[in-house]
Amino acid sequence: MINRRTLLTAVAGTGALMAAPSILRAQGAGAGPIRIGALNPVTGSGSPYGSGMQKMILAAAEAVNAAGGAAGRPIEIIAEDTQTNPQAGVLAAKKLIEANKVQAILGTWSSGVSLAVIPLCNDAGIPLFHCSGAPALSTPPANAKGLGFRFQATNDRFGRAFAEICVKEGFKRPATMAFNNASGIGNTEGFRKAWEAKGGKVVESVVYEPNQSTYRSELMKVLAAQPDVIVTGSYLADTTILLREWFQSGQPVRWIIPGWAANPDLIKALGPEVTEDIISVDSVSNEGSPAYAQYDAAYQKAMNQPGSANVYAAMTWDMVNVLALAIEAAGSADMAAVVPKLREVGNPPGTVVSSFAEGKAALKNGKINYDGASSVLDFDQYGDVTPDFGAYFIKGGKLERRYIVKI
Amino acid sequence: MLTYILFALVIGSVYALLAQSLMLSWGLAGLVNLGLAGFFAVGAYASAMLTTWGHAPIPLGVAAAMLAGGLVGLVVCFSTLRLRDDYLAIVTLGFAEIVRLVASNEVWLTGGTDGISGIPVLVPRDAGIWFHAGSLAIIAAAVAAVYLLLRRLLRSPWGRSLRAIREDQTVASVAGKSIVRFKAQAFSLAAAIAGVAGAFYGHYTSYVAPDLFQPLITIYIFLAVTAGGNARPAGAVIGAYLLVAFLEATRFIAELAPGVSAVQAASLREIVVGLGLVLVLSFRPDGLLPERSQKAPAL
Repeated sequence: MINRRTLLTAVAGTGALMAAPSILRAQGAGAGPIRIGALNPVTGSGSPYGSGMQKMILAAAEAVNAAGGAAGRPIEIIAEDTQTNPQAGVLAAKKLIEANKVQAILGTWSSGVSLAVIPLCNDAGIPLFHCSGAPALSTPPANAKGLGFRFQATNDRFGRAFAEICVKEGFKRPATMAFNNASGIGNTEGFRKAWEAKGGKVVESVVYEPNQSTYRSELMKVLAAQPDVIVTGSYLADTTILLREWFQSGQPVRWIIPGWAANPDLIKALGPEVTEDIISVDSVSNEGSPAYAQYDAAYQKAMNQPGSANVYAAMTWDMVNVLALAIEAAGSADMAAVVPKLREVGNPPGTVVSSFAEGKAALKNGKINYDGASSVLDFDQYGDVTPDFGAYFIKGGKLERRYIVKI
Repeated sequence: MLTYILFALVIGSVYALLAQSLMLSWGLAGLVNLGLAGFFAVGAYASAMLTTWGHAPIPLGVAAAMLAGGLVGLVVCFSTLRLRDDYLAIVTLGFAEIVRLVASNEVWLTGGTDGISGIPVLVPRDAGIWFHAGSLAIIAAAVAAVYLLLRRLLRSPWGRSLRAIREDQTVASVAGKSIVRFKAQAFSLAAAIAGVAGAFYGHYTSYVAPDLFQPLITIYIFLAVTAGGNARPAGAVIGAYLLVAFLEATRFIAELAPGVSAVQAASLREIVVGLGLVLVLSFRPDGLLPERSQKAPAL
């Protein structure tokens, strides 16, 4: 028999159950954790970097939470894999935005994935922090709402730095070779624009396809134009093949190569003789800074490697810190209020800070300027950073920094 | 959460169109088409270029995608007339790669590796949930239309001839069937369906780029058709939706697995997908809906 009391209890219980979701929802908007999506290339061609990037997002969030959270709320990271594939990336982003209700997406890597994900962020009104180089990500239609923030130098800027180095080194007949993707072509096109603006002429330019076992015919075409320097927009695997085949040809020429390709791994693969005098150009990650020291320690702990092994992980570390500081400055996790604060906490003027805890304390006394592990992190009107570039010369199998290029 | 489910359903519907295309060429005509991603790309680019740069209305773009897919299918079919099985598979795989390489190199034509962004959408984007629901309704209607068309074709003498050719070319040609004509028709129609799928994909995500058309998508569709049953339209459609549901469900399952870090979960997902295929193939080698043997019509 159902008596009146059990019936009432049951009704009250059902009512409570039905009300429960609304309580949960209220927590999501107010006092609960701030949910942030980590969308990184854990598998696919970005996999050498992706897991380090994701682990640094988690580590930085842990540091933020240890310092009492942002705007009084802890940060919760929900991690997904882009598979370094735009289609998979879009589905993962959609899941983060709709199912997990994240307030920002951090750490997309390849330009193709970032270009595919950014329309979803625009729809949802949440920021996308990425490490992609494609110039198209700065402007509409991709960045129509100013929600895209780039923690990597644009390929265009890399190209400009290459041109400055060419002038400084007295090269007269540059040729270019680019890996066929938005990033590779961005490098060499940026170089061509900057070089032609200086009145120079590019003697030959070749775009080559990824994943080939030989690049001899492309190389011969470039060498036939008798360049005195070859400027590349390339990656490690293809650069290794290019340089080996060039060395076999015996034709003297100098090389200017981006730092993600001309790195200690390249020297290890080819030996000091082949790589002698190559100029490697990289954005100067803020190695001397206290932020870098903290990042380096966290990276060693998580990955058992020095922090310099993964420049993108330094960027994702900064992403969490800048976002958390902007949330702290805005006093809420409402992205409409947080996004304008990103430039305020990242750019000068203000007290220079290098961690979330330091910045949180300094915010009480006025404006701050976060100097990150990856660069000093000053965003321009497009949400791009303009780091300084270092020109490194390979001498006897070692990278030696000769000078800094400011553009 | 609702828009996420709608989003997955739209992707599932695009896959369902592709799966029906593959069902027609592979399951019925026995033409192993590893170039599915290529026809998908041809359709996506045809419609995207026409509507974004040519400002043509979307229905015209979709029609152009169908035509472009069909024509390219015809060309591929005639250039591979004498090939069957493995050889055809190799050539079509090469075809898909050529399409991708042309798309990423002929910058004047396709915008190169930056792709085409800002493609017009089926329903205004700022309509919120109705954007997803409206797009789903349109694309699902296309799936249904293709389904009805294929069912009708299957029951017709044309469908029977196609199956006869699949089983034994010589017997079919002795019976007076023109092998070349039937194959060309089936392959071209299948390519046109894949082209339509590409057009809808572009008009939903409003972005196409060469990276989207990697062979992975062909593999996924083969997985869907294998799971659903490769000789029945319903099998292909169900297989496609199941595939998307399965791929998306693995995200949440990987999150639930205890003691697995986020980075490990990503790899675990791929293991589960592979395991799924192995299980389907060992327990249901003919798919969920195997082909029904048809009785000969009464004389």
